[in-house]
Amino acid sequence: MAAISAILYREGKIRATNYTFLFWDLFYPLGYLLVFGVGVNEAMGGAFPSGPVDYNSFFLAGVLGMASFGIAANTSWTFFLDRDNGIFYEMLTYPMTRAEYLLGKVLFNIGIALFQAALTVALAAALLDVRIRWDLLPLLTLAVVIGTAGWFYFYAIFALKIRRNDIFNTVTSIFYFAFLFASSMFYPLEPLPAWFRWTALANPITWQVDVLRYASIGIGSPLQIVWEAAAFLLFTLGSFAYAVRSLDQQE
Amino acid sequence: MSEYAIEVENLVKVYHSGRRNEVRAVNGMSFRVPRGEIFGLLGPNGAGKTTILKMLNTLIHSTGGRARVLGYDVSQQPLEVRQRITVVIQETAVEMFLDARDNLLTFARFHGLHAVEARRRADVVMERFNLHSEANKKVQDLSGGYRRRVQVAKAFMVDTPVVFLDEFSTGMDPILKRAVMGYLREEASRGRTIILTTQVLSEAEELCDDILIMNKGREVARGDLHTLKLLSHGVYEVTITFEELPAAIEAYLASLEPVRMEIHQTTIEVALKAEEARVLELVAELAKKGRVLRVEISGASLEDIFVELMENK
Repeated sequence: MAAISAILYREGKIRATNYTFLFWDLFYPLGYLLVFGVGVNEAMGGAFPSGPVDYNSFFLAGVLGMASFGIAANTSWTFFLDRDNGIFYEMLTYPMTRAEYLLGKVLFNIGIALFQAALTVALAAALLDVRIRWDLLPLLTLAVVIGTAGWFYFYAIFALKIRRNDIFNTVTSIFYFAFLFASSMFYPLEPLPAWFRWTALANPITWQVDVLRYASIGIGSPLQIVWEAAAFLLFTLGSFAYAVRSLDQQE
Repeated sequence: MSEYAIEVENLVKVYHSGRRNEVRAVNGMSFRVPRGEIFGLLGPNGAGKTTILKMLNTLIHSTGGRARVLGYDVSQQPLEVRQRITVVIQETAVEMFLDARDNLLTFARFHGLHAVEARRRADVVMERFNLHSEANKKVQDLSGGYRRRVQVAKAFMVDTPVVFLDEFSTGMDPILKRAVMGYLREEASRGRTIILTTQVLSEAEELCDDILIMNKGREVARGDLHTLKLLSHGVYEVTITFEELPAAIEAYLASLEPVRMEIHQTTIEVALKAEEARVLELVAELAKKGRVLRVEISGASLEDIFVELMENK
């Protein structure tokens, strides 16, 4: 517990010295909702053909998923920063397990993600008239927590395995493109070609966003949501185990 | 509880690069270090010193053999080991975006020090390392020497029973280095075990109770300075200062096939491997080549022993 508290203290101290991280973590996805989301919504004249809600409501879960994804990518990049500063290797000799190290980092991310999600949901309700299912708030919170953890552990594997910053940046760019667009983040899957739909259904972003969408505005099949939630949980646990292993194999 | 701080048995580390290439960085090393000792690992570049340290401080896994720190197996009980060690790695390791004080406080927090005690110690350590003037500057704005200071200073924030230092004096000015050597002796006298690697042999000569010289992953020699000097098989170090450096002295010295030879302005330093009587004859011959201001003949230094051992192996 002391180790995790020390990591939270460290991460907080470092984040406080770089406001650009705060902008990225807190306001960038919000910008998507308020600019991109509103733009598409207006372009469609407020009528969203494939669902019972408008685009602003539909896209809210996408923004929450995007935030988890972005925060995870940013934080995993700090492994490179720490490696460049040498402190990464020194930290591995501190009195903590590899799992505690990753857990501490993810808890900090979760804190940021929850704050960001609260801000986004509040503004969506207040400014865009999105009808939030407040009764499902605990599920929404859980989905943000597990979503952020899953993506952080997933990205951590690559940050720990890849030694070159430029290669990692290329990988994250590809991930952004592949995971975000081949998913239910920006559009419903039903009208899409079968191959696209099946690809998106195999994408963990889709699993997370579908759960977030159900938990935020209540749309989606409960049975499918249970399956997708279970799949994402497995994805998170698998990523965690492999990230710990990758950390343990640092040489 | 083990009476040894470090126990290493037949330790092996093999690095693989590509499918076929393997490098045996450590090849069956065995040694023990009693508690409260300053133990030096010496060797040329690539000898395997840092690899041994990395295995002992749980940064990497061994390929074979066993290693224990204070009785705890580094592979099986890494957390127990980490709870008892402080490590200064070879590369500079600091929190660049935090100031010097926050670096010390963050480190102390990881080691479970109470905040009030951590602040008190940070003041003491910053005073000792002359960091007060830089206390509130971000480390990224400090010079390389100051960054190293901050890094080494962290080792004095806590009381872990074992301290690992991998070439700690790199980038340190001579005055601070001398002071740090004094602090390390103090820590050892309080019962902390210091394990260090260095390429600065005078540092090891002055600091270490026990020295292990290694090359290509294997032990070459082991013992205190006195024991190692016995291995030198009649190496003598001759220092002569001339009023003016005699002409062609360098060629003459080279013809004597010295273990080591250095010329600084009008002073020659030469390590010769010969019988005592022959060394005296050579000194007399050298003295005939110019007006001599000072002559000194001594036993072999650690550097001479090191060079001789490396050449023999």
